[in-house]
Amino acid sequence: MQSNILQLKDISKVYPGTIALEGVNLAVRKGEVHGIIGKNGAGKSTLVSIIAGIISPTSGEIVIGDKNFKTLSRNNARDQLISIVTQEPQVIRDCTIAENLFMPDYASKGFFINWNKINFMAQSIISKAGLNMDASMNAGDLSISEQQLLLVVKACYVEKSQIIILDEVSASLTQDDEKLLYDIIQKRKSEGCTIIYISHRTDELLNVCDRVTVIRDGKAVITKECAQLSKKELSHLIVGDGYTSTAVTNDLSVTQGKSEEVVCKVNNLTKYGQYQDINFSLKKGEILGFAGLRGSGRTEIFKGIVGIDPADEGSITIKNETRRFKSPAEAFKSRILYLPEDRDKEGLINCLSVRENLTLNILSRISHNTVIKTASENDCVAGLIDMLDIKAFSPEQEVNELSGGNKQKVIVGKIMAAEPLVCILDEPTRGVDIAAKEGILSIIKNRMSKYSSVIITSPGIEDLVEVCDRILVLYQGKIIAEFTAEEFDEKVIYHAQQGERKVVNAPEMENIFAR
Amino acid sequence: MPQKWKIFLLDNLIWVIVALFFLLNVFITPQFFSVKNIVNIFYHSAIMSMLVLAEGIILIIGKMDLSLEGILVFAPGVTMIMATKLIPGGLNPVLCIVLTLAVGGLVGLFNGYCVTKVGINPFLQTLSLNIMLRGFVLFLLPFSIHPLNEIYTFAGKARLFDGMLPVAIPLVILIFAAFQFVMKYTTFGRQFMATGGNPRASFISGINTDRIIIMGFIISGVLAAFAGLLAAGKQDSISNAMGQNLLMVAFAGAILGGTSLDGGKGTIIGMFGGAILLAMITNSLNLLGVNVSLVYATEGALIFLAILLDRVKVKVKNNILHQTKMKEVLEHKNNTVISSGH
Repeated sequence: MQSNILQLKDISKVYPGTIALEGVNLAVRKGEVHGIIGKNGAGKSTLVSIIAGIISPTSGEIVIGDKNFKTLSRNNARDQLISIVTQEPQVIRDCTIAENLFMPDYASKGFFINWNKINFMAQSIISKAGLNMDASMNAGDLSISEQQLLLVVKACYVEKSQIIILDEVSASLTQDDEKLLYDIIQKRKSEGCTIIYISHRTDELLNVCDRVTVIRDGKAVITKECAQLSKKELSHLIVGDGYTSTAVTNDLSVTQGKSEEVVCKVNNLTKYGQYQDINFSLKKGEILGFAGLRGSGRTEIFKGIVGIDPADEGSITIKNETRRFKSPAEAFKSRILYLPEDRDKEGLINCLSVRENLTLNILSRISHNTVIKTASENDCVAGLIDMLDIKAFSPEQEVNELSGGNKQKVIVGKIMAAEPLVCILDEPTRGVDIAAKEGILSIIKNRMSKYSSVIITSPGIEDLVEVCDRILVLYQGKIIAEFTAEEFDEKVIYHAQQGERKVVNAPEMENIFAR
Repeated sequence: MPQKWKIFLLDNLIWVIVALFFLLNVFITPQFFSVKNIVNIFYHSAIMSMLVLAEGIILIIGKMDLSLEGILVFAPGVTMIMATKLIPGGLNPVLCIVLTLAVGGLVGLFNGYCVTKVGINPFLQTLSLNIMLRGFVLFLLPFSIHPLNEIYTFAGKARLFDGMLPVAIPLVILIFAAFQFVMKYTTFGRQFMATGGNPRASFISGINTDRIIIMGFIISGVLAAFAGLLAAGKQDSISNAMGQNLLMVAFAGAILGGTSLDGGKGTIIGMFGGAILLAMITNSLNLLGVNVSLVYATEGALIFLAILLDRVKVKVKNNILHQTKMKEVLEHKNNTVISSGH
């Protein structure tokens, strides 16, 4: 049996609003790739942040090698040769790649920094890792995927750490970069490093890791050899016994209510450099999915439609009126609402209460001569909380004390309350746990589509297949394929996303290529 | 629930401090506890409390306004120059009052427009404007204008009930009450708080955030002009030195009242408390016979102490919530141990 390089003993972390971790024990062996998996909000990130010294635990003990710690500071952790790469790449945008790599330990001659040496070393490290970059470029000019890989390289080759924590690194990587990442991990492993690998994706984890620890509701449930686990077993461990999968059911009355009436039409919407000639129409009560990889222009098109970043050309026809919206306030007047993908920055007013957030879009309905009617506001809020099953102590609780899934439900509720003609939902299930995800999807399918038409994107195609009536596939800012409900096939849509146009069969699509 | 009480008191800490400071002064400061002196405190706080409110509202929207001091003297100054020198035959005094407030609003509109549509940093915008306004006032008003029309000075000078109660006091209280209502119970107030809390999210939600921010600057300009009206009335003249050194006090009052510099947080009642506390501090130091130059330094020190206290408050509050949660965790643990023991 190999020796443990890192041990956590009975670690707890309590935040004012929630218990993030409760009595977690974890042992990581020297030289292994140790996976950590769990639902959103299970406490994965908190756990690794404690190991990396970014946050300090409320109670418990950390043992690194033969040293015991009550708490680590970031510098302590660095001294113990622990590196972390976080989910969102954190490069210093205005510094060169070389500077980013060596910060804060520049090679120096006494007091002066030896730039030639740094650039030379950086370039050799980059090529050693198999990357194709120029070390003197600004890090801000790299794509998100490249930035992330750069930080992995920094952790693995520059800091020469014994323990490398990769926190959902693959989430922002392209497929090619993902392969590079796996190569780097294997190389470091063969050189005796220990890697802690966090991911959402069960198949990836089973491929990459030697052992995996499942975290559920702030507790470490089990640690197992990957070789003994199947994907299905792992998924089961993550979700737990208490939860039975309730796939989104079809409410028949909803399907019957659908008509051929076109509610909204988007005509030749173009923003140069981002998307071109976007044409589609939306029927009453229809749920239209937009499939496409990151950077395929989904969010940009949505933001163009509602006027957050207005498009250069084209128009939107709604209620017999054809125009191009210049601000979300104009779109709101025509009853088009947008649910942004980044809920903390663009969706919620975090320092206000659940109540104030939920009613932000319906102030005119619950007020009389601009004075808010408290009673009808409270009724409305209670109804929404009940329907969406939002878990909060009271409607007066500040939104930022809620968990991710409940925050997301608040935004969905805010949009539903307004009963718009068109809801544009940009990844409404992003970063929420499975139960919340099913809840949100079923509300979209069975409630929202009763009075609104819905445009939706999702990080996974399976969600779209589950709720949509029709799916459009985007590739490099163009609609390249269309699928109706009978044609849904995850694999085919997945390939279409990568730009494989042979799957296109609808006649109208041929017209697009003819141009 | 004692815990709930604790949190309630912490949330309204400024009023707890006001009460404690009041009690302290009742015992140590001679002549402090008399109707006359208390009326005096309120009267002297009137001008400053209007500036506190003006600054507080701008802080809630997530911006800042350094030009309040300039507006305070510029608005009545320009109006009176027009009334006494430029327009032959003078102006109706009621019109003068309206004009004063309108000038304040216009300056605010200019600030708001430059900050939102042109995209100038509010700090730089209002800083440069403040210097500009001061300069204009020095040029236009080398000597003070005196005396002023009785109607124009009514708000700042007149007294009710045989001279017992200056009109300014009920006026100021009325204004605070009105703003409390608007911020809490109207759609405008709700949109205002939302825009301050997260301008991007509010914009995407369909709120015309630029308009809300411009409105904020206009309101704060009008309030500063009203403070100028009170100041002019109080001294029955308009001089170019009016309102000096009041700007930082306005910031201090708003922050003492619990307004956050990051926007989105703050209450009107809290701002009022902050203004009263500052006025009380000055009053008691004067009554205690502290050297005038030292009064200023002591004020500064006390403001610093109060802001320090505000930091402590946040920590204590978080700690209370933390302890409650810890207890829950432990109880939950014990319960599971007991139930598994059965």
